[in-house]
Amino acid sequence: MRPRKLLRIARWETTTGVGGVDRGAIAVVLAAIAFVGAVGVVGFVGGVAIEDGIYRVGVDEDSRFHAPAAEDPSLAVVEPDPAVVADGRLETGQGYDIHVRETADGTRLYLAEAGGEPTEKSRAAATAFREAVEAHNERRMRLESNETAAFPVVVTLEFVARDDADGAEAGGDGDSGSGGSGGGTGDGSGSGDGDDTGGPGGPSDGTGTGTGDGGVGAPSLGAFDLFGTADTAGSPSDISPPFPFQSLVLAFVFVLPLNFLIQAYGSSMLAERLDRRGELLLVAPVSPAEIVFGKTLPYFAAALGITTVIVAGLRLLGGGAGPLSVLAVVPLALLFLATTFLGAMFARSYKELTFVSVTVSTLLTTYAFVPAVFAGTSPVAFVSPLTIAVRDLTGAGVTVGQLAFATGPATLVAGVCFLLGLGVYREEDLFTQRPVHLKALDALAGRIRRPRSLVLVVALMVPFVFVAELLVVVLLFVLPVAVSVPLVFGAIAVVEELAKGVPVYAGFVRGRYDRTLGAAVAAGSAAGVGFFLAEKLSLAVQVVGLPEVAVADAAFQTGLGAGAGVVALLAVAPLLLHVVTATVSAVGGSRGRRGFLAGLAAAALLHLCYNVAVVSRLV
Amino acid sequence: MSRIAVARRELGSLSREKTIVLAILIQVIIAGFSSFLVVGLTSLYDPDAAGGDVEVAVTGEAADAMVAAAAETEGLTPRRVADPADARAAFDRGEVAAVVRAERRDGRIAVSASVPQSSLRKTLVVVQLRTALKTLERDERVTRSGSLAAPPLPVPPATDASPYFGFSYTVLLPLLVFLPVFISGAVLVDSLTEEIERGTLELLRVTPLSFVGIVDGKAGLLAALVPAQVLAWVALLSINGIAVSNVAALIVMAAALAVIAAGFAAGLALAVPVRQRAQLTYSLGALAAFAAAAGLPEPPATTVARLAIGSAARTTWLHLAGYVVAAVVVAVAVRRYAGTVSPERFG
Repeated sequence: MRPRKLLRIARWETTTGVGGVDRGAIAVVLAAIAFVGAVGVVGFVGGVAIEDGIYRVGVDEDSRFHAPAAEDPSLAVVEPDPAVVADGRLETGQGYDIHVRETADGTRLYLAEAGGEPTEKSRAAATAFREAVEAHNERRMRLESNETAAFPVVVTLEFVARDDADGAEAGGDGDSGSGGSGGGTGDGSGSGDGDDTGGPGGPSDGTGTGTGDGGVGAPSLGAFDLFGTADTAGSPSDISPPFPFQSLVLAFVFVLPLNFLIQAYGSSMLAERLDRRGELLLVAPVSPAEIVFGKTLPYFAAALGITTVIVAGLRLLGGGAGPLSVLAVVPLALLFLATTFLGAMFARSYKELTFVSVTVSTLLTTYAFVPAVFAGTSPVAFVSPLTIAVRDLTGAGVTVGQLAFATGPATLVAGVCFLLGLGVYREEDLFTQRPVHLKALDALAGRIRRPRSLVLVVALMVPFVFVAELLVVVLLFVLPVAVSVPLVFGAIAVVEELAKGVPVYAGFVRGRYDRTLGAAVAAGSAAGVGFFLAEKLSLAVQVVGLPEVAVADAAFQTGLGAGAGVVALLAVAPLLLHVVTATVSAVGGSRGRRGFLAGLAAAALLHLCYNVAVVSRLV
Repeated sequence: MSRIAVARRELGSLSREKTIVLAILIQVIIAGFSSFLVVGLTSLYDPDAAGGDVEVAVTGEAADAMVAAAAETEGLTPRRVADPADARAAFDRGEVAAVVRAERRDGRIAVSASVPQSSLRKTLVVVQLRTALKTLERDERVTRSGSLAAPPLPVPPATDASPYFGFSYTVLLPLLVFLPVFISGAVLVDSLTEEIERGTLELLRVTPLSFVGIVDGKAGLLAALVPAQVLAWVALLSINGIAVSNVAALIVMAAALAVIAAGFAAGLALAVPVRQRAQLTYSLGALAAFAAAAGLPEPPATTVARLAIGSAARTTWLHLAGYVVAAVVVAVAVRRYAGTVSPERFG
């Protein structure tokens, strides 16, 4: 690759991209951004009133409860009609959810009923009404002259680190949490929870953000109060519970610009494929790699520039962000660009590209965001590169190992995507129309010459497997271990068999080798060996990342805590397993599409049995 | 060849490229994602969902009042500890989730609460403590009501309401109405600019169909897909036990919004026949329109929520009528504009 040619293509891309947009369009875009920004700020400060008037309260204007109901935006006050409350009951469909009636011996609250039971809606309305009365009382107390009587309780809330944060806390938490209706924070956290303060840089985090301004309303939603550890003081209603999802705000700040960027990038890449426009560059004395990276460079630079501006802005606002945050976004930017590039190589039309890129960005946002939710509570958070940025912002350090663990898989996947896309960046693939899945098979087959090539191709798939499995672990680790571990086993069997089977099948479809039993066995063995070798590299997990999370152990079969003989067995058994299952799906693949699906299902089942039988007994 | 034929051809290409499947997949992921978030979020706040009682150690001279208030709070178990050092030791061992020290000072009760800095349950602990402290505050206010100019209103008793009840109507349903609308417009921009850029519009022009007819067919199909999707979502929600009221009104609203979005998209694609620019302007324009709609007396999301939950007021119906009128105006205006556009300039 020659840097001068690459830079020249990058310059062309920049000038055509900018020159193509006329001044009027830029003005419209800027005006729209400014407008959205302004409305967003107003909406954020004034609160979004989505719940406006969703519950109807019948309350008389003279009633003392009229003011609370009228002040609460989620309650709509309706003129009460005493006739609707028949023999002490309020039926639904009369235009009220709750009905307040003052009588001589106190106030009665009627909930709308259907079939003798209060409806779900009327109960929710009653809860909203109760909150409205509480808020109303609070406002009235602020007007009282006798402060001691109005606010008789003063609270100081402080967040302290436990002295010996070993297994004791984890045990206590785990036992009492039984994983409620939503599969809450029960047993799963039992193993992941205890070591959080023990993590490198853990105890020092976030303690410097005490607001200490006392009095009224110490908000906990400050951008850098990520762990909700600011101490507060005031009356009981001033306490705001720590908001556990503040990384959401950050995730969107960092990831949203990338979504817009890949739109432009995808358009530009697909435009090369329309009307054979890319042919001019292809016949020029430059290599496909130079074309692709030259066209990618401006967008990557833009992503870096935007991130740097955001980080600088956050720093101005008082965050401890630095170069580390920018470094954390690099793999994400690469991942977005690489998957969009691959999408643009596969898509047949703009419509298809839009959906491919939106699907990709939704999935990638999930990958970046969900693990980062657990930043500060569990090591599982380091699956996402964004966690590095979150920790950097809050002034908590990260080790080199954690950095490698968070950024490594994403970078590798991005690299593989570019490699596969480059494989189809040639005249005969660029300008032909084929369904996406056939193009994907072409991209894989492009790297296959003979059964032996499968070792490398399957090894290339391992980063995908790695990222997919990490995502599975993150999504399932909040569930109780009894539920999550079998689910993880199942998901992993499918993911790994797909990674081995699909390249083998691609070879059959493109006719890289004969549809014979011998070729199938050779291809399957090569795939199994390739997968095994690459997977053993993932043992880095054990060194770096997730040793205490039971689900992770199940996923990566680290064989933690087993004896030396067991470790030796664990080294050989997977090789055998991967070769056997890959051969099963390869033999199926040699019989065509149906055979491939059947073979794949059989292989996944075999894999699952192995996992359950061998691994769960050893670990 | 009629408009219907154009629409059928468009539907054919959409289903051949599996874009419809992807569109629904995206909506499922986004809806699932937001549900995951809210259920996760609520379970951190909600004692029933997070499971298990929170045990707190209470010390200090005003401990009795605090223990009485805490005992009234469901899911909170107070433990009276005489010596603050013991309480701290129990906290460090993880036997209690928090230490509360209540003292009488200057005629008030001064409470200092220590909660663990790093625990998944700290949000729940703080929520529970706040409930108990509010009860304590209310009790104290009642005893001191002689010194108050206006005593506080009695608070209605708590009811066991589902914390997710409002979410389905105020977040999930508006999301499921607006996403198809937005996606339809985006697909229309793609579809029209692509025909123009590839030059296939020329081929369509050879047929005995007017240019307006072509736009009609494409925009009509995409606008018609929106109410169909919304209907499917409503049916799915009903199967899951979320009853949706005013379904017909919701469908009308989705259809009106879809016509507005499709009209905007078609006008944009004809005015700026380059995909990259048209798509960006469409996204930002839709975002700006949505932001501007927040300035209405009743924002669109609220209208959807009020219709779906069955609390529609007169303003809700007026807004709905407004959207229908706007849809008619946009459709007429865009058709007139398309009539003035000369397809030859795309050549």
